[in-house]
Amino acid sequence: MLLETIKIAIRSLWSNKMRTLLSMLGIIIGVGAVIAVIAIASGTQEQVTSRIADLGSNLITINKGTTRGYFGRLSTTAEEVFTLELGEAIEEFCPSVTRVIPKSQASGYFIMGDNNIQASVIGTTVEYQNANKYYPEKGKFFSQYDLDNASNVIVLGSELVDELYGDVNPIGSKITFYYNKHTFIFNIIGVMEEKERGITGDFNSSAYIPITTYLNMISNSRYIGSFIAQAASADEAGQAVEQIEYMLTKHFGGDEEFSLMSQDELLDTITEVTGSMKLMLSGIAAISLLVGGIGIMNIMLVSVTERTREIGIRKALGAKRRNILSQFLIESLTLSSLGGIVGVIIGWLGAFGVAQIGGWPLIISVPTVVLAFSFSLLVGVFFGIYPAIKAAKLDPVIALSYE
Amino acid sequence: MLKIENLTKIYKNGEIEVKALKGISFEIKKGEMVAIMGPSGSGKSTLMHLLGCLDRPTSGKYYLKGNDVAGLGDDQLADIRNNYIGFVFQQFNLLSRTSILHNVEVPLIYAGVKKNKRRKIATEMLEKVGLGHRLKHYPNEISGGQKQRVAIARALVNNPALILADEPTGNLDTKTEEEIMRVFRDLNEQGHTIILVTHEDSVAEHAQRIIYLVDGEIRRDEVIA
Ligand SMILES: Nc1ncnc2c1ncn2[C@@H]1O[C@H](COP(=O)(O)OP(=O)(O)OP(=O)(O)O)[C@@H](O)[C@H]1O
Ligand SMILES: [Mg+2]
Repeated sequence: MLLETIKIAIRSLWSNKMRTLLSMLGIIIGVGAVIAVIAIASGTQEQVTSRIADLGSNLITINKGTTRGYFGRLSTTAEEVFTLELGEAIEEFCPSVTRVIPKSQASGYFIMGDNNIQASVIGTTVEYQNANKYYPEKGKFFSQYDLDNASNVIVLGSELVDELYGDVNPIGSKITFYYNKHTFIFNIIGVMEEKERGITGDFNSSAYIPITTYLNMISNSRYIGSFIAQAASADEAGQAVEQIEYMLTKHFGGDEEFSLMSQDELLDTITEVTGSMKLMLSGIAAISLLVGGIGIMNIMLVSVTERTREIGIRKALGAKRRNILSQFLIESLTLSSLGGIVGVIIGWLGAFGVAQIGGWPLIISVPTVVLAFSFSLLVGVFFGIYPAIKAAKLDPVIALSYE
Repeated sequence: MLKIENLTKIYKNGEIEVKALKGISFEIKKGEMVAIMGPSGSGKSTLMHLLGCLDRPTSGKYYLKGNDVAGLGDDQLADIRNNYIGFVFQQFNLLSRTSILHNVEVPLIYAGVKKNKRRKIATEMLEKVGLGHRLKHYPNEISGGQKQRVAIARALVNNPALILADEPTGNLDTKTEEEIMRVFRDLNEQGHTIILVTHEDSVAEHAQRIIYLVDGEIRRDEVIA
């Protein structure tokens, strides 16, 4: 009986292919959108997360704090707060921190013959390499000796070399850096390997010099832009954050002068962002499902009217209300579940295509598919019930004489 | 078999009242074949609807096989239609989107008969009316006479106590009319009770009894030889 009814429903839907397709469109788009959106969001999240993990989940960035502007006061960045000594103190007094790497950065222009390119010079220490798992490909990184003597040496990121030198080996030659109306000349001693762009910045289009050189030549002060603190392990990162926070708050007499950012926090933020993105897009998808439901209701009402005579015949032959009700309900369910299935397939294909282009993994979770599909069934029942009741309530005599 | 007492039917369309039946009484015995005749608008179809439990009378009594059916609910009436009554309509009223075999199966579906048994009974019934070779065909692929045979097979498939036919030959030519009437006659000879509405004397003369309706009342009720 049920199987018969489904068969009849499919046959009647099949005989009106175009109309069926149009009325399923809303459901198809809705379900497809849910599947694709969740898959794409999960894929990008996975990609970003794994990149952050690549950066080392035990790294904590210590930045200068900003005070919020209010009552006409401008927001200001704290200046002159971090010194090399402060970095050493953090390393010494925070047990969960194995080392603290200073990092100062200046954006200017590298000039090489007729070419110039805007890029950053980063002043740091030797340990920058290990902390970021980032090493030279040709030549060498600067040494402790260079640090101690504030040598005039520079290591270039791979993209800088590509842009300025092409295939020519730059090691041994000099490069000019123009910053703040001054020019600085460095000896190139190495070229870094290529590293995927992370969320903390673009490694490849920066150049690296000893922090001492940076302080002497470029900033001409004893203050440092930021620190990278490395926790003993990823598990200890949380403790390390607490220790640094405690120590710096004490040191500055407040927490306005600095801000901490750990990879953990970053991950949380990203999960939060993609989470709310998923939620928002799923909302849009839900609206489309709703519209799809109205489409189904519309087509079912048309179908009931068209088949008034059929309903009359069935009633004359002994169909009870619930027989007619279930017939039309099954038909709208068939319609919405077909739409759901097509939607799942299309969403899947869409997510697959986008994942291919974006280069992230295709993540389609079974609960998502089940949820989207059952939602389409729900829509079928919800919007099919009214037309079905209308059909079931038809008076047999009136239905039989319907032209 | 069936008995009606003082049956009335009044249609109300807003302010306008139409008294389609004005108190009709008769009794029909098992195995009778009765023709109902009368001018257009005299209430023949209305009476058939009441006898077929498709509609409820405004007042009066209707006993079918001893049961008072005038006051039953929709689903109970559906059961009675399914178990006791077979309909044959002027417009054939076959389901156009299914095979004729399936058409004949429909009453059995609502009676809850299992698929295999259903198929068997329906096939036998179609063979009986001479359409055993057309089971898989669709209604639009067969002639009017054949459609009416399918409708008769469908009316018979639940082995009903009463067969109601409202102008069953109204859409057929004389030759086909003759064939269909022979089918009804055969059925009657096998013991089926049949009530049919007709405008044609040639159809009515197959019956043993003719009830003439005029303006919602019985004008004559006569037994013919
Ligand atoms: N649903 C309805 N609403 C209002 N009036 C109706 C309705 N059905 C029938 N009538 C009226 O009831 C009267 C009897 O109609 P009915 O259909 O029973 O006549 P009939 O004898 O079958 O006529 P015909 O030979 O033309 O089929 C007519 O006056 C008709 O207009
Ligand atoms: Mg009539």
